[in-house]
Amino acid sequence: MKKKLLIFIFCGFCLVAFKLQETIFFTEPINWPKANYDFSKNPLSAQKIELGRALFYEPMLSRNNTISCASCHSQYTAFTHVDHDLSHGIDDRIGTRNSPALMNLAWHKLFMWDGAINHLDVQSLAPINHPDEMDEKIESVVTKLQKSKIYPGLFKKAFGDTVITGEYTLKAISQYMLTLVSANSKYDSVMRKQSTFTAQEKNGYNLFKKNCSSCHKEPLFTNLEFENNGLALDKSLNDFGRMKVTKKNSDSLKFKVPTLRNVEFSYPYMHDGRYKRLSDVLKHYTEKIQTSPTLAKQLQKPIILSSNEKVDLIAFLLTLTDKEFIFNPKFSYPKNIFLPKPQE
Amino acid sequence: MKFKFFILLNLYFLFIQNTLAQSEIVTTLNFIPKFGNAALILNDSTYPKNNGDSIKIESLKFYISNIEFLNNDKVIWQEKNSFHLVDASSATSMKIKLVIPPNITCNKIRFNLGIDSLVNVSGVLGGDLDPTKGMYWTWQSGYINFKLEGKSKKCKTRNNEFHFHLGGYQTPYSALQSITLNINNPEKISVVIDLQKLMNEIDLSKQNKIMSPSSEAVFLSKKISQLFSIK
Ligand code: HEC
Ligand code: HEC
Repeated sequence: MKKKLLIFIFCGFCLVAFKLQETIFFTEPINWPKANYDFSKNPLSAQKIELGRALFYEPMLSRNNTISCASCHSQYTAFTHVDHDLSHGIDDRIGTRNSPALMNLAWHKLFMWDGAINHLDVQSLAPINHPDEMDEKIESVVTKLQKSKIYPGLFKKAFGDTVITGEYTLKAISQYMLTLVSANSKYDSVMRKQSTFTAQEKNGYNLFKKNCSSCHKEPLFTNLEFENNGLALDKSLNDFGRMKVTKKNSDSLKFKVPTLRNVEFSYPYMHDGRYKRLSDVLKHYTEKIQTSPTLAKQLQKPIILSSNEKVDLIAFLLTLTDKEFIFNPKFSYPKNIFLPKPQE
Repeated sequence: MKFKFFILLNLYFLFIQNTLAQSEIVTTLNFIPKFGNAALILNDSTYPKNNGDSIKIESLKFYISNIEFLNNDKVIWQEKNSFHLVDASSATSMKIKLVIPPNITCNKIRFNLGIDSLVNVSGVLGGDLDPTKGMYWTWQSGYINFKLEGKSKKCKTRNNEFHFHLGGYQTPYSALQSITLNINNPEKISVVIDLQKLMNEIDLSKQNKIMSPSSEAVFLSKKISQLFSIK
C-alpha cells in the first residue's frame, strides 16, 4: 500500500517537473491573453532555443553567406532594421517594406504587414527565399548546415538526430523567436503597481486610451488586425497591403497593426518606414489622414491634439521601452557557439 | 498467483499483437504518368499537343493525401498520416505502399489531390511535407498541391518555359480535389494520369504561368482531378 502511494507521488512529481520544464522558457505575463502558438506541436527546450538562436544569427541562411536574420532584425533596435526605411538585403538590394520589430510573436496569428504568412514556423522561409533578402533555398540551407562543423552536433543535442531537416531548422528558429517576450517596461511595472506614471505620462496614457488603443490594444499594443490608418499611397511602391493576399477590395490599404512596445527604438515607422520620428507619426494622425473607402472608422473624425498633449502622448509611448528586453544577453549573438574558445 | 496471471495476460496480448501484425498485408498504389498512349519521360521526349504545338515536360510532382478504401460509399479503411509526394523523377515515390488488413472487401478508392486546409495552417511539418521538398510557397503560406513544368515554343517566356504551380487552401481559391475511382480489389492498384488531356485544353501562348492561388488554379485543379483513371 505504502509502496503504491510512493509510486503515485513520484509520478505526480515527474509530471510537475515535466510541466515546469516547459514553462520555464515561456510564461504568459499576468493579465495577458492566452498565447496563440501551439506549443504542444513544438515543445520548447533549452537546446532547441539555443540552436534557434544560432540560426537567427547565422549568415549561412543567405545565398552568399552574408546576411542573417539579425541583419534586418537587430536586438538593440527591438529586432528591427537599424535606420533603414525599406529593408536592406543581400548584395545591398532594397526590399519593398520596412522590417517590423519582433516581440511577443507567440500571440500573433498572421505574420507580415499583409498577413501573407499563416504560422510562425513557416515565417523564415519567406526571407530565406526572397531575392532581395537572403536569396537562398531552404534545401541548400539544410545542405550547408549539414556540412558545417557546429550544426550537426547542435541538431543532435536539440532533436536527437544528426540528419538536419527543413522541419527541425524552422522549428528551432521559431523556438528562439517565441522567447522574445517584452513585458517589462515602465508601463508594465505601473500596471503591476510597482511604480507610478509622472503626471505627463498619465495624461499621455489617457490620450492614448481615447485615441489609439482601439487598434494598439493593451497589453500587446496591437489588436493584431489589419487596418487602414489613413496613410497616403506611395505611388512608387503601390503597396495595397492585405488586399494582395485576400484579393478583396475591402482590404485595400490595410496593414497589420504594429505593436508600439519599444517604439522608441523601432523607427523609422510604418510599413514603408516613411516617418522618422514619433512627432511625425502624431502629425500624421492629427493632420494627414487620407480618406478612402477602407479608412478605419475610428480615424474618420479628426483626432485633435494640442502641442502639449502631443508631448504628453509621446512621454507615455516612451514608457513602453523595455530595456531588459533590448539588452537581454539571452537574446544576443551567441558568442559561445560561434567564436572559438580561448585556449587554456 | 496474481503475478503469474499478470505475466500470462501480457504474453497473451503480445501474441495477439503479433498475429495481428503478421496478418496485415502490403499493397501498392502505383501512379503511372502518361501522355496519351506514351509513357511520360521527363526532359527527354517531345510530346505532340493538339494545335500543332509540341512540348517537353521537365517536372511533375503532386501530393496525394487521405487515402481511403470504400465499400458502397462506406469508408472501411483510412491510412493514418496519409501524405505522399508523388514525383515523376523518383520511381519509388510513384509506388505508394499501403499496409491494410487482409480480406477487406471494397470497390472504391478515394484520395485527395493536394493538402487540406487544416494541414496548411499547421506550421512546419516533416517527411514528405518538409518544406525542403520544394512544394511550399514561401512568400505566402501554403502547399503547392500540383506542380507541372516544361517547355514549349508557344511560350514566349524565358527559355520557352511554362510553370503551373497549383494550390491554395482558402475560399474562394481552394484548389484541393477529392478523387474517387472504382476498383476491383485493393491488392494492387495502378492509377494512370494522362497529361495529354490537360495540355490539349491549355493554350500555352496565352496561359503558361500560374504561381499562386487564383481562380485559374482552381479551374485547372478540377481538370487535373479528371485525368486520373484506373489502368
Ligand atoms: C533583408 C532584410 C530581412 C531579413 C534578412 C529577414 N527579415 Fe524578417 N522581415 C523583413 C521585412 C521587410 C519584413 C516585413 C515583410 C512584409 O511585411 O512583407 C519582415 C518580417 C518578419 C516577421 C513578421 C513580423 C510580424 O510582426 O508580422 C518575422 C517573424 C521575421 N521577419 C523574422 C525573420 C527571420 C526569422 C529571419 C531569418 C530567417 C528574417 N526575418 C530575415 C526583413 C528581413
Ligand atoms: C484604426 C486603427 C489605428 C488607430 C486608431 C491608431 N493606429 Fe497607429 N497604426 C495603425 C496601423 C494599421 C499602423 C501600420 C500602418 C502601416 O504601416 O501601413 C499603425 C502604425 C503606427 C505607428 C508605427 C509603428 C511602427 O513601428 O512602425 C505608430 C508609432 C502608431 N501607429 C501610433 C499611433 C498612435 C499614437 C495612435 C493614436 C493617436 C494610433 N497609432 C492610432 C492603426 C491604428
